[in-house]
Amino acid sequence: MKKLARYIIIWWKLTLGTSQIAFQSRFGALLFLLGKLLRYIFFLLFLVLLINRAKIIAGYTFLEIVLFYATFNFLDTLSQFFFRNVYRFRQQILNGYFDNLLLKPLPSLFHPLFGGSDMLDLVILFFATGFIFYAGLHSGQVTPLHIALYILLLLNGFVITLGLHIIILGIGILSTAIDNTVMLYRDLTQMGRLPIEIYQEPLRGLITFVIPVGIMMTYPVRAMLGLLSPTGVIIALFFGVILFLSSLWFWRYALRHYTSASN
Amino acid sequence: MKLYLQVAKNTWDEMTTYRFNFLMWRLRNVLQLLTVYYLWLAVTPQNGHIFGYSRSLILTYILGASLVGSIVFSSRTQEIGENINLGELSQFLVKPLRYLGYWFARDIGDKLFNIIFSLGELTLIYLVLRPAIYLQPHIGEVLLASLAILLAVVMNFFIGTLLGMIAFWSPEVWAPRFIFFTLVSFFAGGLFPLNILPLPVQYVFALLPFGYLQYFPIEIYLGKMSPLAIAQGFGIALLWSVLLYLLVSRVWRKGLKMYSSEGN
Repeated sequence: MKKLARYIIIWWKLTLGTSQIAFQSRFGALLFLLGKLLRYIFFLLFLVLLINRAKIIAGYTFLEIVLFYATFNFLDTLSQFFFRNVYRFRQQILNGYFDNLLLKPLPSLFHPLFGGSDMLDLVILFFATGFIFYAGLHSGQVTPLHIALYILLLLNGFVITLGLHIIILGIGILSTAIDNTVMLYRDLTQMGRLPIEIYQEPLRGLITFVIPVGIMMTYPVRAMLGLLSPTGVIIALFFGVILFLSSLWFWRYALRHYTSASN
Repeated sequence: MKLYLQVAKNTWDEMTTYRFNFLMWRLRNVLQLLTVYYLWLAVTPQNGHIFGYSRSLILTYILGASLVGSIVFSSRTQEIGENINLGELSQFLVKPLRYLGYWFARDIGDKLFNIIFSLGELTLIYLVLRPAIYLQPHIGEVLLASLAILLAVVMNFFIGTLLGMIAFWSPEVWAPRFIFFTLVSFFAGGLFPLNILPLPVQYVFALLPFGYLQYFPIEIYLGKMSPLAIAQGFGIALLWSVLLYLLVSRVWRKGLKMYSSEGN
């Protein structure tokens, strides 16, 4: 517990430092925030336009689609908030700063993952949470069990994103090609903005079990709407645990092959 | 001219050097396209219409928007800001070439590479998904659409250059570009045809350059525009091209007076 508190304090200090850099240009930070908000709102308005005409998308009503979209944004933004340093990791490998980090009395994954969060993401998180509450409470008969399953699967989705970010960091060590890998990951997860039922096979299978966008983004909402079987819940949790453990194994493998060649 | 052709060729060679990066970039484009494609496929009835588009028309629109986007938005002007901020502009000022000509030539090299890949991807998507697509039988519409794409390329180049030239006054060049891309990703027409928007919004966007970058050429190709609307569209796009050119020239002159590259 004491160790966890220490890690939180270090994360907070790193986040403060990152925020000071980000707010050095207040105008730039404001524009970035505005851009993120506009992107969020414009896509929502597009969905409104679309559902006004189509009435349902892949069998889901407007509020249910909003719930999918808000859940995607919540998980996507949460992972960006916590794992922002993954986007900076390539540079730290190239300029040898990673060697310095490995000497610190911290777990090797701590700094690459949690080396400074982007406070601007909190605004989007706030909006997404609001929409989840509104759409969730107005989407048919939602029971406490459904809500509990939703939270459980959301946590599971977060563990999966954590695992995927660890794998991306491992790839970064082995090949330094991290920038495109992380952006590819983001484009794949963007497919979770909408229920995966809109995609056809084999793409649907691919984004459910190979790159588990479906399990991360769609399963929690299905559970909230009472559309996910107990087997589905067990499969999702099993997948989350396996992926997380595999990512740790891969990280250790990548670390063993780290040559510090660029330093 | 030979000099600029060589610049375009060099850009092409650069892209073949960083093949992995480029392939990942194209793969990302395919994923983005598939998301939009399947969304429209899910909301358009098999034999019905949505917003006045049949399934074949809307899917042709989405695939066409992807191709036009590859032509229009592939650009190197995002490097101009960094070029000015780092003082690298100084090297260009003493070379016997026009700075804007240099960047336009780089754009051409970049575009050619992107067009080839985009055509390959669309062919692959067509062969795998077999969507019913609309082939325009009239050569006139195809030629007009091509002309509209040319104007879009010019407009996008000037807009990109203007965004880069912000660096003359501020080191903050990425945030304005981020805002521009956010607006373009929704209001150029890559995600949806702009005529699904409420009428007052359509009137406003008809006067802005965004819709002329993607939506206008595809709508001409699909034969969904009246001759009067096409003429009006070309008039506005041409006006924007001239205005943007004048603005770029003025900003360039003003910017050069501000430019300094101490320690470079």
